[in-house]
Amino acid sequence: MMMMVSEQTQASASLAGKTTTDVIKQSTNSLVVDGLKEITRGLLTVLKQHNTDPITLEYPEVMPELSDRFHGRLSLLSKSDGTDLCIGCQACARVCPCDDLIQIEMHRDADKKPVIDRFTIDLGRCIFCGNCTEVCPVDCIKFLPDFELADYSREALVLDKKDLTLNGEESDQWRKEHGLAVTVA
Amino acid sequence: MMMMSTPSSTLTPPDVKPMQGVSVEKGFDTNDLVVNIGPQHPSTHGVLRLITTLNGEVVKDMEPVIGYLHRSKEKMAESRSLFQYQPTIDRVEYLSSFYDHLAFVNCVEKIAGLGVPKRVEYIRMITLELNRITSHLLWFGTFLLDLGASTPFFWAFRDREEVFTLFEKLTGARMMYNYYRFGGVNADLPSGWLNEVRKFIDDFPRRLDEYEAVATKNPIVLDRTIGQGILTKETCLQFGVTGPALRAAGYAADLRKTNPYSCYNEVEFEVPVATEADTYARYVVRVQEMRESLKIIRQCIDNIPGGDGGELGLLKAKVDEATKAKKKDPTIEVPAWNSDWDMFGKKINLLTYKPPAGEASVFVESPRGVLGCYMVTDGTPKAARVKWRGASFSNLSCLPALMKGHMYSDLMAIFGSLDVIMPEVDR
Ligand code: SF4
Ligand code: SF4
Repeated sequence: MMMMVSEQTQASASLAGKTTTDVIKQSTNSLVVDGLKEITRGLLTVLKQHNTDPITLEYPEVMPELSDRFHGRLSLLSKSDGTDLCIGCQACARVCPCDDLIQIEMHRDADKKPVIDRFTIDLGRCIFCGNCTEVCPVDCIKFLPDFELADYSREALVLDKKDLTLNGEESDQWRKEHGLAVTVA
Repeated sequence: MMMMSTPSSTLTPPDVKPMQGVSVEKGFDTNDLVVNIGPQHPSTHGVLRLITTLNGEVVKDMEPVIGYLHRSKEKMAESRSLFQYQPTIDRVEYLSSFYDHLAFVNCVEKIAGLGVPKRVEYIRMITLELNRITSHLLWFGTFLLDLGASTPFFWAFRDREEVFTLFEKLTGARMMYNYYRFGGVNADLPSGWLNEVRKFIDDFPRRLDEYEAVATKNPIVLDRTIGQGILTKETCLQFGVTGPALRAAGYAADLRKTNPYSCYNEVEFEVPVATEADTYARYVVRVQEMRESLKIIRQCIDNIPGGDGGELGLLKAKVDEATKAKKKDPTIEVPAWNSDWDMFGKKINLLTYKPPAGEASVFVESPRGVLGCYMVTDGTPKAARVKWRGASFSNLSCLPALMKGHMYSDLMAIFGSLDVIMPEVDR
């Protein structure tokens, strides 16, 4: 590595008054007196904290406020009329860092419209990275601010299309909160 | 802790009375004792095993055993596209993963010659320095916890939590950000975010003063740290130790200053350096670095092109809308949108992104030292090879040399002062 140190850096570096020797020098007057003084100062600082409000929440009575970008449970949004928005393009499955985590089976009906037969996401292996939500061309696969995902078995964490899909109103609500065009036909 | 070999029983037989001319010293066998510390030890910050040879309470020799957290970070890059690989980087150096992402995306940007808009660089600098603060705060808390002080630990975590809330608003995740993209960032700043950061950095110096009031001159802390674990400049250079440990030995090596990347040449800050090279010097350097980080963040907020996210997004939306309408009706006026303000970077299709064949190496100054990423691409969406240089590995490697001759009870204080994070060592 090239670590040329300019003189200016060296000069600025010597941060007067912040070195160990200085601290020792300051303390040589009387270690006991100084020590007691410092401990008292520390204890007083600790005491001051007694007047502050606690920052912990009484979960689950009080839920944390999550940002609208929060990476929580994955879901599939629908069109405003409640039909499938997903076009089965497999983009989400292709950018997912984990193999076969998202599995999609689809066929095309008589009008060449995509029909999704199966859509599963294995939340037990999902790392909530957000790659899938970023590449979806129709803004279909999205995160919900829901973090209570624990379950009793690994199988229960494999969500199928029914678990994942939000109905039309919920999807509109989601789009409204995230500043997307609300009605999607 | 488990004893691996105990010396043969050397207790004085009961019928021999020491008073009758038997030397007490002879009663004790001075064989060396090999003690296995870890891998599960609360103070190793991960899974580290130290095979320690003790002579009484004095460490004679030490051999770190690593690899318990190996997850083949480098090999994983070869079987995934660059974008697929990117989220896994977060899981390695999880206390300051913005730095790993910076090294990674900078490599791709270098290879592909992607320009990065200034606004993006400033957003990156703000997040990087906030990340340095969270990382140093965690170190501050756990280091003092290793010394036996539990109050600062809770304070540090309380304030770290505030930064994490900010990160969550920006990236959607508290620690696994996956936020930087090749030539840009994932999403613009949310509206009002900069003000929240400003509020935090305005308040934080007061809290740092509080931390220092309980710890910096506390006689117990001074006693356990001053003169302990002296890691000289020569030793540092021999082992490749970088970061605060090197700066505490009097060597002002900081890549942000010496080889500026991002926009670090546009901000003013100092590189804290101490000369004593002991545990206390490393403590002082890190606390001072947090203050310097605040300085950098403040300048970035003041100078970020485009200002807060909300306004800029609204303006952009207006411009886009007017541009669209203008196609139908040429009389419509498009609001001024300075084209130098290409704030968001070029949108690249991450699904099919292929950097050209090439190689690049990038070094950045992470809170633990120099973090390097070397990448070779061959024109496919995957990298042919990615090599990481983590600061923790080199910083850990000097531990045996550092510990020789020290008391066993100082081990965790000295080890803690190196700020090693095991997932980065094992990768
Ligand atoms: S969040 Fe990441 S890991 Fe989870 S399904 Fe989406 S791409 Fe895969
Ligand atoms: S990327 Fe979107 S549209 Fe394509 S398959 Fe996934 S959810 Fe469906």
